[in-house]
Amino acid sequence: MRIAGVALLVALAGLSTGCAATAVKPWDRDLLAKKQMRLIHQPMLNAVDDHVYFSKEGSTGGMDAGGGGCGCN
Amino acid sequence: MQLAGPPRTSSVRSRLRVAACLLLASGVPVLAHADGAPINTLDVTTLLYGEKDRARVIEPNVRVTRIYPDGQSFSGQLGIDVITGASPSGALPSGSVQTTTTPSGNRTSSEQGATPLTSFQDLRVSFDGDWTRPFLRAFTSTLGLRVSREKDYRSVGANAKLSVDLMNKLTILTGGLGFNHDQVDPVGGTHGGLGDGTVIPGRGVNPKEVHTAVLGVSRIITRRWIMAVNGSRTSEGGYLTDPYKVISLMDGESGLTVGQVTEQRPSTRVRKDILTTAAYHLEEDVIHASYRYYWDDWGVKSSTADVKYRSEVDPDAHVYVEPHLRYYTQTPADFFTFGFVQGAALPAYATSDYRLGPLRSVTLGATVGFELSGYPGEWTVRAEYIRQYGDASKANVTGVQKQFELFPAVNIGTVVIGYSLDF
Amino acid sequence: MHSRLFLLPITVLLASLFIGPPNASAGGVGADTLAAPRFALPGLHGLVVSDSLRGKVVYVDFWASWCEPCRRSFPWLKAMHEKYGSKGLVVVAINLDKERRAADDFLKKFTPPFTIAFDPEGKSAEAFDVSTMPSSFLINPTGMILSTHAGFDLKRTGEIEAEIQGACSK
Repeated sequence: MRIAGVALLVALAGLSTGCAATAVKPWDRDLLAKKQMRLIHQPMLNAVDDHVYFSKEGSTGGMDAGGGGCGCN
Repeated sequence: MQLAGPPRTSSVRSRLRVAACLLLASGVPVLAHADGAPINTLDVTTLLYGEKDRARVIEPNVRVTRIYPDGQSFSGQLGIDVITGASPSGALPSGSVQTTTTPSGNRTSSEQGATPLTSFQDLRVSFDGDWTRPFLRAFTSTLGLRVSREKDYRSVGANAKLSVDLMNKLTILTGGLGFNHDQVDPVGGTHGGLGDGTVIPGRGVNPKEVHTAVLGVSRIITRRWIMAVNGSRTSEGGYLTDPYKVISLMDGESGLTVGQVTEQRPSTRVRKDILTTAAYHLEEDVIHASYRYYWDDWGVKSSTADVKYRSEVDPDAHVYVEPHLRYYTQTPADFFTFGFVQGAALPAYATSDYRLGPLRSVTLGATVGFELSGYPGEWTVRAEYIRQYGDASKANVTGVQKQFELFPAVNIGTVVIGYSLDF
Repeated sequence: MHSRLFLLPITVLLASLFIGPPNASAGGVGADTLAAPRFALPGLHGLVVSDSLRGKVVYVDFWASWCEPCRRSFPWLKAMHEKYGSKGLVVVAINLDKERRAADDFLKKFTPPFTIAFDPEGKSAEAFDVSTMPSSFLINPTGMILSTHAGFDLKRTGEIEAEIQGACSK
């Protein structure tokens, strides 16, 4: 856990400081506007995967605020 | 371009007040027809899932999304899972051929030395609906409802999410809450934990409640790089035991199984995770990478690393290939055990479900995306191989059990066929 | 211990949100007192030069083919061009695509009757301090900015049309 916390802090420091100085201009977001650049770029496949791993592994979690809902065997 | 004119008039930086726009955050393209009519998207996927010698699943899903010119959208998804096959009961291999009957009336049998399996079949139907609405220029709210039903399990849930764009959409902050109310109605009744499977008389359905809170921030780092960090906390309460799993009792010396007890898990569980995701655009191709760290108060800690590389084979024809690699490893729950020695005192909680054991899984696969010339819509076909394996080297077993493979690898193959159409 | 550690990153998350580049917006100066930046850009039929548009009411719109609200604004821009073109309005839509091909593909599907200019480097957008896509600027005949609009919202088009109408009737 401690390692994860430290890693997160480092990541956030990067997110919030140094990089901000060179803000990406609105007209420079052509690549970011592509479908494949969305962080969840294949939502349907992602949902299928969540369901599979939820029922086959002991942990779960992610971006969705949805609960469980499967008494999978 | 040449910019004419004296410097005095060449820039109005920091003087013009330009309000933030409500549409098109980088990660949230909004589509609409040029005439202002709403656009609809149909997404169909079918999962074919097979475990070697175990379960098989067919899961078709249909989703319809309607996006209005003001950015508001509605979507609904219907899914059906058809599950047949067998899963490990949790029992150890016996020294001889073993046949037992589970509370649900299913027959469990196994060869000497093989992991006992319980056969089952089920049909699960699920529906979910979402409503997303941008408002006050920088905010987006999403409300969702989901229900699902299967033979022995019902679930009703709702969730709400709020996002806010900051600093010209360089940063998006998201917070959300989710709630689920589930009902577990085991086939054949609910048994007492760590017992011989005797059903508790008069016990109706067993409730289970799940509360989730998520908080995340996504950020554009460069023209080619976006990343996000999300944290979530889920607390579960109620019936969290698997009604069909058992734990073997073995003879202290020979290791032969001499009986079994039902499993029993705590009635609360608090799960937390931190997920970092990133997408990076190379010249044409895109790399997606994520790492998740998870921990809960059952003692399960897990790490998940996931990488996808989308290679544009023919951008003009929208053909791409996307290899995928995922690695998962977890520590066992504190109360996980391979079995008990007969006569020993039993703890308050115990399970032999391999999914709460020292488990690893590796996924290897690839997606191909393409369009059929002359026909509308996009196709995706994905094939993956998942191998789950564990570590039974320190298992608390005796005698003959030491010769058996207590954590046999599970080999899974999946194929997903997807179709997406805007109309 | 775990639960407290969990709060720490969240606090940092929240704090990080408010650190960033200085916001371009600053109130105080009325928009109508600002001279519009000047530009000379290649168009579909030769150079598009801002100075040559003096004496006209100019509606400058910044757009790109990958920007959905930009696309959606085109039918409305066309309507404005058709309605007020004879009354002194010139619509100049400045394309900010990096690759001309992307812009051309879009223009093939939607052949706009109004003026198109190309600025792949985005220098004019920089000069106008464009904060979002699309952004538009209404400029009076003497080259002063009358109003600015960030984003495209069908509900606000009536407002903008009233401004155009006002500017054209002066």
